Amino acid sequence: MAIDPGTAERAAGGLAVPERDVTAAAARRRRLPLLPLAIIGVFVLVAILAPVLSPADPLSQSLRNRFKPPVWMEGGSTAHLLGTDRLGRDILSRIIWGSRVSLAAGVVTVLIASAFGAAVGLVAGYYGGRTDAALMRITDATMSFPVILLALILAVTVGPSFTNVVVAIAVILWARYARVIRGQVLTLMSLDFIAQARIAGAGAWRIITRHLLPNTLNTLVVLVTLQVGYVIIVEASLSFLGAGIPPPTPAWGSMIAEGREFVTSAWWASAIPGLAILAVVLAFNLLGDWLRDTLDPKLRQL
Amino acid sequence: MIRFILSRLVQSLAALAILSVVVFVLARTTGDPLHMILPMSATAEDYANARQYLGLDRPYIEQYFSFVGKALTGDFGTSLRARRPVMELIQERLPNSIRLAVFAMGVSLAFAFPLGILAAVWKGTNLDRTAQVIAVLGQSLPTFWVAIVLVEFVAGRLQWLPAGGISGWSSYVLPGFTLGWFVVAGLMRLLRSGMLEVLDSEYVKLARVKGVVEHRVIWLHALRNALVPVVTFAGIYFSILVTTAIVVETVFAWPGLGRLAYDGISSRDFPVIQAVVLTTAAIVAVVNLGVDCLYALIDPRIRYAR
Amino acid sequence: MTRAKRIVPMLFMSLALLALAAPGAVWAQAKGGDLTVALSSFSAETLDPALQGHNVKYYLSLMFDYLVGTTPDGQPTQQGGLASKWESSADHKRWTFHLRKGVKFHTGDEMTSEDVKFSLQRAMGKRSTTGYAGPLRTLIQDIETPAPDRVVILTKEPTLIIPVYLSRALSTEGMVLPKKYLEANGDDVFARKPVGTGPYKFVEQVVGSHIKLTAVDSHWRIGTPKYKNITFKLVPEETTRIALLRRGEVDVTDISRERVKELEKEGFPIHLRKDEALVHMWFVLGPDGWVPPVKDKRVREALNIAIDRNEIAQSIFGGRAEPAAIPFGLSWSFKDVGFKVTPEMQYAYDPARAKKLLAEAGVPNGFALDMHAFQLPGFPEGKAFAEAVSGYWEKIGVKPKLIPVDYPAFRKLWIDRKAPGATGYYNIANRDWIGTYALLEKQAYTPSKMTDTVADTEVDGMIAQVMRQTDQQKINSLMRNIFTRLRSEHYGVPVVYIHSPYAASKKLGKWNPGSVMYDLYIDELASGK
Repeated sequence: MAIDPGTAERAAGGLAVPERDVTAAAARRRRLPLLPLAIIGVFVLVAILAPVLSPADPLSQSLRNRFKPPVWMEGGSTAHLLGTDRLGRDILSRIIWGSRVSLAAGVVTVLIASAFGAAVGLVAGYYGGRTDAALMRITDATMSFPVILLALILAVTVGPSFTNVVVAIAVILWARYARVIRGQVLTLMSLDFIAQARIAGAGAWRIITRHLLPNTLNTLVVLVTLQVGYVIIVEASLSFLGAGIPPPTPAWGSMIAEGREFVTSAWWASAIPGLAILAVVLAFNLLGDWLRDTLDPKLRQL
Repeated sequence: MIRFILSRLVQSLAALAILSVVVFVLARTTGDPLHMILPMSATAEDYANARQYLGLDRPYIEQYFSFVGKALTGDFGTSLRARRPVMELIQERLPNSIRLAVFAMGVSLAFAFPLGILAAVWKGTNLDRTAQVIAVLGQSLPTFWVAIVLVEFVAGRLQWLPAGGISGWSSYVLPGFTLGWFVVAGLMRLLRSGMLEVLDSEYVKLARVKGVVEHRVIWLHALRNALVPVVTFAGIYFSILVTTAIVVETVFAWPGLGRLAYDGISSRDFPVIQAVVLTTAAIVAVVNLGVDCLYALIDPRIRYAR
Repeated sequence: MTRAKRIVPMLFMSLALLALAAPGAVWAQAKGGDLTVALSSFSAETLDPALQGHNVKYYLSLMFDYLVGTTPDGQPTQQGGLASKWESSADHKRWTFHLRKGVKFHTGDEMTSEDVKFSLQRAMGKRSTTGYAGPLRTLIQDIETPAPDRVVILTKEPTLIIPVYLSRALSTEGMVLPKKYLEANGDDVFARKPVGTGPYKFVEQVVGSHIKLTAVDSHWRIGTPKYKNITFKLVPEETTRIALLRRGEVDVTDISRERVKELEKEGFPIHLRKDEALVHMWFVLGPDGWVPPVKDKRVREALNIAIDRNEIAQSIFGGRAEPAAIPFGLSWSFKDVGFKVTPEMQYAYDPARAKKLLAEAGVPNGFALDMHAFQLPGFPEGKAFAEAVSGYWEKIGVKPKLIPVDYPAFRKLWIDRKAPGATGYYNIANRDWIGTYALLEKQAYTPSKMTDTVADTEVDGMIAQVMRQTDQQKINSLMRNIFTRLRSEHYGVPVVYIHSPYAASKKLGKWNPGSVMYDLYIDELASGK
């Protein structure tokens, strides 16, 4: 989970930076994290191929067939490999279609937040002075607003929807990116090559896009990867509170929320989407960890 | 040093001021609290009466300044729903939220320390990987689900621990664990990398060459180095715990700020919504300020940096 | 060797954690003399009876006494109220209530007619937000106190309903509050430290968490209270409430219908409030009344017969529900007015005929219908219910769109008439005929502009007549006709009556939660008589 390095970053700058470890153990670490990549790959494929893969209509209800257990349990059938939910809808189909919704929510939110946040961070770091101060005050104010409360307020005002979830989270998430990127830019600005570019007559836009941005990409990539999982988890919590992606759209978070009362009786209704979230988020988190370790160990504060 | 504190204080106040406007506007967009307070048979006249009685018919600017003015003296107005001073409601709930956050932090550290140290000392091995996975697991499961599963099995079936409410130390365990597990990964990561940094550094290599006993090397130097970022981030994680506790509070019927905010939003109780958001922001600001001061004390360079 | 030294501190930490997790028996709730009730919602949660809209009386009925008492079935009785007897003048415009002597408030002051007058005026005052303050204001002309034990209420029109309005059967207007204490301390202090004449005294309230009451030594209504303390806990999550019950930390809790079987199997007594509420869907009107296509009676009938009420009752409501047939038909009022629901009145499940009706009405390919979906206290199945109904309507060609909102947002749309033709629903608490009439007056009476959902001049006419009637037989006949017309014109979609289960600890004795709106008769449970 990304946090604001802020002053810690400054403090960490004073400690010794380790050399590149060339031992065998380190080589093993740098190897691609196959399992996380595989999991993510599978779910992305599932999301794309949902119309083809899904055995049934995820929205079709049949109250008579509610809470049918998965095929390997007594009472299960091949008609519903993973059983049915509270309204008799096929869970496997809902998981497949739900991957679209949950992944889209995670990716879209993070892309918006990172784009906007990085922009703010770059501008603040580059211009410094009053611009920086003003932007950082806004960033601080934004970061201290609880995400869940904002989502609840939006849900109550305009009604819960996919857009609301994305907006509510992105509107607060960008601040973390802004802080981190700005910190990096500040360090970069003190380096020679920026001063040289300025002397050579490069304008703000050029410096930002050609020199600063590429050097912050590593950080961005790590942050983005780590945050996709976070957003998916937050969406689940929002569904629990009634502000998530609304029914009847299949989304893993709302599937767990709907099935939570039946943890012992119809456990599959919540456990199976729970496993899906677990797998995907774990994969993103592990991938992010690996990226951080590989791209720039100095980012360990993230 | 004083200057540093003052300048940070002013910055925090500026952020809070911005936030006050934002939350004022947001609260009022949620709808009309009168629909919740007045019965179905209320006439238009009843609505007008109530609006006047509750001060909701004044122009927005006036309402805003009245809100800010009173807030500066510690008066957050009266809850539209409970008809009690909001300050009282906050005073009832805030200590509960803080205590839970502190306990959760403790649980978090109690897990992060052994896991982080294990992972660093046995880095690259399966133990390292397992420790990382256990820690990251806490961030990969929806909090409410963990909470409900714990309530159902640990409290309801096995009956080892209380299921909800505040009733002594044991009632902190389940909610504290649920909340704390979410940040274990971050803390553990810091510990692990902080220790690795030192373990790889020149100084330690030199110490090894000199023949200092290994375990003293680990504990004295590596740990102390790792503690520095952990202390910083403990502060930030604490704020995260306070602001995200709403789910845990709902499941465990824990009377904290999160639940107060939720009830406030459900009943469109503007004064409560405003007060909770500002209080939470103030807590975050205070904690950040405290940590920054701590750092400024440790490292004088920071005081003079922008 | 060094490895061992590393392991030891870690073992120590694990042991420390285990120690923390040791059984917390020593901190468990005080048992024996105390009763704890866990509920999913406290509604308005204010302790001042005049500040409640249409809200729960669970703890208020313990702290305060009513002027007129009721049996658990909701019938006025001379046993349960502060008025041991009452009568009206021949023209039904003058009601005299004779008060019990020797009843004391928790402060020690004696209860007199002055307190009754004060309480009633307060309940009808500008600051009051009780459910029936409005009707009382239009009805009551004056209140006299000819003696400390007699209150006379003069009404503007002849009426039979004063005693019921001031009884436990409806809302809180009949609660008697201490005049001296209120005048001396003001409303705000009273709202935080309420004082009444009831068998239990207020101890403390943490808003959003719990309310704690303690017993008086002896009470005229229930003798020596069986429980020293009664605590009401607010626990929104059902799994937690059930865990608390299993652990013995609470003695009574409301549970959802779907988990009744699970608890029954474990031997927990389940007390059912039968037909506690009617799950009823209605249509939001446009600014000028009905909007097409629901304006057409055939469309409304089609929507009704497209729903398989039995299946919904068995599946979503776990079998603890019965099909309903009459729009706004609150069944506890049926016996009061002699209304019988015949088998023909029950809506049969007939999707084929529903499609035909739609075709006849000119919408053979269905139409777009907005359905608002929300949860409500006492109705956790809300969203699932809305989804289920939308599923049925989809099968007959209607194109329902589920709009998730929370109830306050829907209420706004409803009252502002910004969503004409859309549906909303409520689990309407069942009640006697006067309560039902009051509900009809709000929701089926055009002059009630804001909350009206039925624009029909015949119904309006009948409701207006009931208001002025003093002959009970004529009233009953009017009510029966109203129900008949509501049903024949399909002015709503009544789905099921739901039974509300309350799970109790195995040690709890006999308990009748009663069939009075928003009340659980906890005081009967605590009765020492």
